[in-house]
Amino acid sequence: MSEIKSESISSLVDNYSPSTDDTVSAHLVDNMLKDEDLSETWQNYHLIGDVLRDEVPQSLQLDLSDTISAAIAQEATILSPKASTHTSSDEVYSDDELLAEQNTLIEQQTNVVNASSRFKKAVSRLVKPMGQVAIAASAAVLMIVGVQNNVHDSASPITPSQVVQTMPLAGYANPVSFNLQSSQPEKSQQRQAIDQQAINDQKMADRVAQQRRLQALLNDHNQQIKLGSNIK
Amino acid sequence: MKFPALLLLLLSVNVSAVTTETDSAKLWLERLSQSLRELNFTTSFVVVKNNQAEPYHWLHGIGDDNQELEIFARLNGPRRDVLRQGDIVSYIEPEQEPYSIISDDLRTPIPTIFRGNISNLEESYRFISVGRSRVLGRVAQLIRIVAKDNYRYSYWLWLDHKTGLMLKMAVLTRQGQLLEQIQFTHIEVSEQLSANLAQFQQSELPPVSKLNSNQPKQQLNWQVNWLPQGFNIVKSNQHSLSSYNKHGDKKVEFMLFSDGLTEVSVYVNPSAEKLRAPEYASDGATLVYNHIIQGIEIGIVGDIPIVTAKRIAESIGVANTTKANKPSNEQ
Repeated sequence: MSEIKSESISSLVDNYSPSTDDTVSAHLVDNMLKDEDLSETWQNYHLIGDVLRDEVPQSLQLDLSDTISAAIAQEATILSPKASTHTSSDEVYSDDELLAEQNTLIEQQTNVVNASSRFKKAVSRLVKPMGQVAIAASAAVLMIVGVQNNVHDSASPITPSQVVQTMPLAGYANPVSFNLQSSQPEKSQQRQAIDQQAINDQKMADRVAQQRRLQALLNDHNQQIKLGSNIK
Repeated sequence: MKFPALLLLLLSVNVSAVTTETDSAKLWLERLSQSLRELNFTTSFVVVKNNQAEPYHWLHGIGDDNQELEIFARLNGPRRDVLRQGDIVSYIEPEQEPYSIISDDLRTPIPTIFRGNISNLEESYRFISVGRSRVLGRVAQLIRIVAKDNYRYSYWLWLDHKTGLMLKMAVLTRQGQLLEQIQFTHIEVSEQLSANLAQFQQSELPPVSKLNSNQPKQQLNWQVNWLPQGFNIVKSNQHSLSSYNKHGDKKVEFMLFSDGLTEVSVYVNPSAEKLRAPEYASDGATLVYNHIIQGIEIGIVGDIPIVTAKRIAESIGVANTTKANKPSNEQ
């Protein structure tokens, strides 16, 4: 029985159906999938065929299916914990009070909260420059990569990163970024933030004024050169 | 016995090599100047500065009556063209109505001196022929125009072996830091005037404005006491800085200096503020410097290093009536 089956498998591997009837080969494939011995035979015949045709790869990997399934299993274990850390920060915060039984758990959760507040801060830091961009753009100052000689800059504790977008001669925007690192840790107190906002607004206005000043000089320089000499 | 003779021979070869290098560099620049004035060419180039690229078209040709025709057109953003028919130069800009002036000078990314008399640069710059390379798929000769002092930038030119035209230009600091460069992306030299220029020849330029004669030279009560060697005054006047702030224009007293290759503007005006720390910004190789000391605001603009701008600003003093507006050219 198994001899015959092996023979038909061999024919199947060689791309030759043992009988003209398609149902037989279909039946054979079904059997083969169920029977471990037969599927092993199928595998071996293929390997033999490869060797005969000299198609064996340099490093012979006899069973790919195992490594593939192992890889899939591993992938799954990496993905699942990642997904869990993505849980919404607000929910975690309220859960935190309810589930205050295990110290370790609390520590973990507060860590998550810290991280999320940091994330929020980053978002607000991103949003803030957008408003500033609008102010600067309305000023329609030409692109100048400015070097700040402002003494206050280095002295102040928090200076959020700013992106000043100004208008060059061409009419399209050039980003001029004054990226200053915040030196204070995540303790954001609201009063301080408001004070900072006022200071930043003032600084922003100063910068726009400065850019305008320098821009006016640059434009005039170019214009005066065009107009040529009046000393002959 | 043989050795000193060999050394002497080697030395003499070296010396002559250096002089021929300078000579051949000058010949190359003279050839460039001639090509820029006499050839019919259609080119495209890109100005790279401030981390961005600006594309241009540049057409030049010789029309009827040997009149030079030229078009510089910036391709991105609003139109900003420079047109020239002979000595009539027109500027088409988004900020103002098109206007024409009579001038032998064109304000374009390519310095005007390259079409003029190269010898004018020899006071402040040395010419060095460096070697061959491949630019724009062509054989190029690299010529360096090196500043003789530390107060200005150097210019590197890659010139086409076949036509003598420019293939690439770079502005560098003395330390070799690249500030600005112009890369040509297309060059075509033809016997005939190109169709665009033939059409341009028929078109009429905007009316010539009389701006030049309306701005008489004025005696200013201050003077620049120090400038790098080779800078000479081009003009001085009083005018208003437009778009200075919302409250309107601001009157400034102004002087323009040039060393042939680059220009420096000096602005002086009284200010309501008593003191403002120096502030500066750069646009490619162009530096804008500004400060207020004792209620006097001083602005310096030009393709110069910050040390030069600072030193010029600090040298400004009350005019000496005996030699007003004549800066002493000492190092």
